[in-house]
Amino acid sequence: MLNKLLFKHQDKKQIIIAMIGSFLGITFLITSIHFLIRVNEFGQGNEILGPNTIIVQKKVTTSSTLGMTSTTFSEKEISKIKEESYIEDVKPVISNNFDVSFQTNDPLVPYFRSDVFIQTVDPSFLDVNTDDWNWKEGDTSVPIIMPRDILVMLNTFMSASGINQVSDDLAMKIKFKFTLSNETNKEWINAHIIGFTNEVSAVLVPESFMKYGNDKYSEGKEQKITQIMISGKENEFGKVEDLMTRKGLESKNSQMVVGRLKSIIGTLFFVVLGISVIAVFLSGLVMIQYLQLLISRNAYEVRTLLRIGYEPKILIKKFSYYFARIFAIVSIIGVGLFIPLKLIIDQVFQSGGIYIDTGFTLQSMIAVLLAYILFLVSAYLTARKGIFKEF
Amino acid sequence: MNIYLDHIMPHPLASIEHGSDSIWGKHIILEAGKRIALNASSGKGKSTFTTVTTGVRFDYEGQIRYDEQDIRTISPSEWAQIRQSKIAVVFQDLQLFPKLTVGENLRLKNELTRSKTEKELHDMLERMGIGDKWEQQCGLLSMGQQQRVAIIRALTQPYSWLIMDEPFSHLDEGNTQIALQMIHERTVEQGAGFVLTTLGDLHGYEYDLELKL
Repeated sequence: MLNKLLFKHQDKKQIIIAMIGSFLGITFLITSIHFLIRVNEFGQGNEILGPNTIIVQKKVTTSSTLGMTSTTFSEKEISKIKEESYIEDVKPVISNNFDVSFQTNDPLVPYFRSDVFIQTVDPSFLDVNTDDWNWKEGDTSVPIIMPRDILVMLNTFMSASGINQVSDDLAMKIKFKFTLSNETNKEWINAHIIGFTNEVSAVLVPESFMKYGNDKYSEGKEQKITQIMISGKENEFGKVEDLMTRKGLESKNSQMVVGRLKSIIGTLFFVVLGISVIAVFLSGLVMIQYLQLLISRNAYEVRTLLRIGYEPKILIKKFSYYFARIFAIVSIIGVGLFIPLKLIIDQVFQSGGIYIDTGFTLQSMIAVLLAYILFLVSAYLTARKGIFKEF
Repeated sequence: MNIYLDHIMPHPLASIEHGSDSIWGKHIILEAGKRIALNASSGKGKSTFTTVTTGVRFDYEGQIRYDEQDIRTISPSEWAQIRQSKIAVVFQDLQLFPKLTVGENLRLKNELTRSKTEKELHDMLERMGIGDKWEQQCGLLSMGQQQRVAIIRALTQPYSWLIMDEPFSHLDEGNTQIALQMIHERTVEQGAGFVLTTLGDLHGYEYDLELKL
């Protein structure tokens, strides 16, 4: 009866318009949050380097070849890059200053040996379990991150030798051995692979191992920094690219492509997210205004109900519940519309060769829930104010 | 429940000269169980009396108490309880819901206390001569019919006091007598009291007390 009295005789045009605005806003809100997360996740987990991280070096030019300019990085240059607002961190890539060779040391695989180039980077840049990524003098084996190119080379060699090729998992079980040497000393240390990378051309080793080798076998040669690792802030890769152009730096093209792609799509969805938040906010505002209007149109009814003995909290609950149901319908339609929209966008990404995770993101659903809770609180407070005004 | 009017002077009436027998500005006790006529000409504050004693408005000097409680200290939730079980009111402007039917108007009130059965509500309408109006939209009834619906609505609830603001102003004498008889029965049955404001006509009823404004 109360519903008939309070809600039956109303002009529903305004509420329908507000509902359409709200569910479109909710749909775009979920879509943009979902794809922002998925795009940022793109590339993570496949690579050992953290997200938005690239290794750069100075471009080799004629003048650098002639020795007129340097291709090494000074401390000052590194700290200057680090000062840029869009840079998360910058660290030098340390290379070996001694002779290293790498060989298989396992009866299950044929003998293979090659001189290698090893490097180490700050562990904060690596997406690896830190428990696996350490070494100290006396340890029996050195953990390494292997360039995938070396595994390909190893497999080519195995194939040519008529032996079965090895998968990533199997390669991580094979025993290897480093030979560290200089003109007077030589030492063998076992090694095992804990991961692979497409982004680094050298074998990556823990910092402690590099220090051990350089201290013991470098014969006092000066450590030159020819490469640095730059970690850019989320969705600001364009600025990192600009910095590289200005400073005459270069990187592996694959790293640049992913970073650029993530930056562009991320920015695009960020803009959509901003518009969606505004749309949800505005349509919420229209609905709250409609609630105010509904209470003021029902001022006589509300006042009379209070005068004949209805508790204010019953009426507050009625109005809040009515709008809670409306927003629940809006949210359900919004989520319902998001599902086909997501399928379409996933297909667009796939047809462009971008295979992002197609699962639903919890965060986008939490965003709808938060918007719903926010609206409920606003509706309750508005109803409370309106009802007590009539008391 | 006694109602104490302790030197009440509503702000809108402060500038008007009141007679020496007026209750405004005096200490008056409305004793529980009394049937009181409040007699006054137009503009003396009959509706103001109804609204200030039932907590609808508070723009007055002085203090109104239900027993020991100053009604200004009563919370909205407590008012709801009081209006459900202690104070019933027939407002001069009736305060019905014109878009609801007669039955819905009565049910809406009766749902709060469930004091009457649906049959009892029908019987009350029948006795008032509007038994056939149950399904009729209230706003389409004549003023006299609406007045009878408003009286029945007030009688559905339990009360200690029934405050009525010119409840028979649109009723003929026959219907007034029926209404007055029903009010009397319901009031006596509960050991309650009532205040009936009137322009002067006492309708031959024997009141315990007659007050003036």
